[in-house]
Amino acid sequence: MPIHDQSYRHYGGGRAAPGHSWLVIARAGIRTLIRKRVFIGLMLFALAPFMVRVVQFWISSQYPQASALAPSAETFRQFLEQQDFFVFVITVYVGAGLIANDRRANALQIYLSKPLMRTEYIFGKLAILFTFLCLVTLVPALLLLLLKVAFDGNVTFLKNNLFIIPAIVVGSLVQVLLASFTMLALSSLSKSARYVGILYVGITFFTTAMFGVLYAITGSSRVSWIAISANVTQVVDVVFRLKPRYATPWQVSLLVIIALIVLSISILERRVRGVEVVT
Amino acid sequence: MTQPAVTAVAAPMAAPVPSVAPIVAADHVSKWYGQVIGLNDVNVRVPPGVTGLLGPNGAGKSTFMKLITGQLKPSKGTITVLGEPIWSNPSLYFRIGFCPEQDAFYERMTGLEWVRALVRLNGLTEKGADEAATRALTAVDLMEAANKKIGAYSKGMRQRVKMAQALVHDPQLLILDEPLSGMDPIGRRKTIRLIREWGRAGKSIIVSSHILHEIESMTSNILLINNGRILAEGDVHQIRELIDEHPHTVYVRAEDPRRIARQFLESDDVRSLKFEANAVVVETGKPDQFYARLTDMAASGEFGAIDEVTSPDDNLQAVFQYLVK
Repeated sequence: MPIHDQSYRHYGGGRAAPGHSWLVIARAGIRTLIRKRVFIGLMLFALAPFMVRVVQFWISSQYPQASALAPSAETFRQFLEQQDFFVFVITVYVGAGLIANDRRANALQIYLSKPLMRTEYIFGKLAILFTFLCLVTLVPALLLLLLKVAFDGNVTFLKNNLFIIPAIVVGSLVQVLLASFTMLALSSLSKSARYVGILYVGITFFTTAMFGVLYAITGSSRVSWIAISANVTQVVDVVFRLKPRYATPWQVSLLVIIALIVLSISILERRVRGVEVVT
Repeated sequence: MTQPAVTAVAAPMAAPVPSVAPIVAADHVSKWYGQVIGLNDVNVRVPPGVTGLLGPNGAGKSTFMKLITGQLKPSKGTITVLGEPIWSNPSLYFRIGFCPEQDAFYERMTGLEWVRALVRLNGLTEKGADEAATRALTAVDLMEAANKKIGAYSKGMRQRVKMAQALVHDPQLLILDEPLSGMDPIGRRKTIRLIREWGRAGKSIIVSSHILHEIESMTSNILLINNGRILAEGDVHQIRELIDEHPHTVYVRAEDPRRIARQFLESDDVRSLKFEANAVVVETGKPDQFYARLTDMAASGEFGAIDEVTSPDDNLQAVFQYLVK
């Protein structure tokens, strides 16, 4: 009877080159979320405005008498603005626990003892939120444009509004990147996803309320830069070649957005470590 | 043992300089946490094989381990692992496995899911990860519980699943931070056996503990650390020789211990005597002379039968006590 070797056996398989670990992090996070029925329900609900717009575009292309429903470049801006609410909800749902849960489980020290750089870890986590937010903003907006062309049977709308593709891309990215970076930074500050969610909601509502109060007092919207959401609105309006709705120069709003992203990166750089050093 | 004695030993010891390339080399490494010093001017070469890192709680063991796994940057000095600088060198992590002291789990995951997810970070394909995770869990004798949620694992099982994730990508160097902590005696025995087996399989292992007999049962090659400094390094017996100027305790079980004790008292090197049942415990400052004299006494037959001579402090416990206390 052959006696099998029971001693330690060395691994003989292949290994991917370093630098791809962020994909493993992103894929694992995405898989975890799409296994949740509640989340799938939320994503489907977030696509409801898209379905409504599809019907609107179809009617307007089929029935010339329904010209009031005919889309313009502004329609796409309105669509992205409608999605703001879903961006907010998905950011809280997906983003709050992205790093906080790893911190609670002490998982960072094990992750970062693997061939995984901190930037890769952050990038992987960012990719999770970025993917889902793009699925409710950038992707449906571009799909709407494609359907518009398909329903019309010509590219006249596109020719007349050539700026609309970059506008959709840039507008969506402004929404998505700001939400992703700020939420990820907040998630790195705590071990409690619930606390992070509350903090994000609080900051968003507080800054908006502050702006509302100051607007009521001064009667001017020049202080709209205080509200995070107002800055996004202001910049995306400009991207879609619309008149900005607040008196704050759009450059100031853009600077605030950039500053928030830089601040978030700085927080992530400090907080995402395998070993928490308290001095 | 007084502190100056510790300092005397802490000076560059005649530890054997390994002829082979060290797996870890620390060159004047210091680590500060603000104003608190975690590691103080550590200069050490760790040879291949199993090495025990021994020191009391707060001695700097975990800091040293975090430095050699690249999770902390030295405040001063350099560290090379497997011949390469470890800091900001994640490609080197392919060759290192780290088992932290703290639990680091998602308790809702099963052991198999957790190990499989982690090994994917080492660049293995899904299929390869599955096979590697199964192999690692089998190696730590945890395959039967592989599909149970980690939340339901005992402390010993948690330690073993942590070791499985450290081992799963077949690293050259395993760094185990207090792997026996919280384990039951059977789990300890199994783990010690595993560590020795991995050592025999060609892996280099650095294992930390504050419990002396644990380390001693795994290896005789030790690093003693206290207050952020390496007190001693090398083979435990060589270290013992180096501290032979300190009292050496010998247990002599004999037919007539009091008669033997009277003879011992005539020698200057005997510092103290203590009687136990059918035995005398002698503390001597010159062990070589003492053993020579004892052999003569036994050979003369004048002192009755001498049944057993042991040196209870010729082990890690004694070395540790001499150097740390």
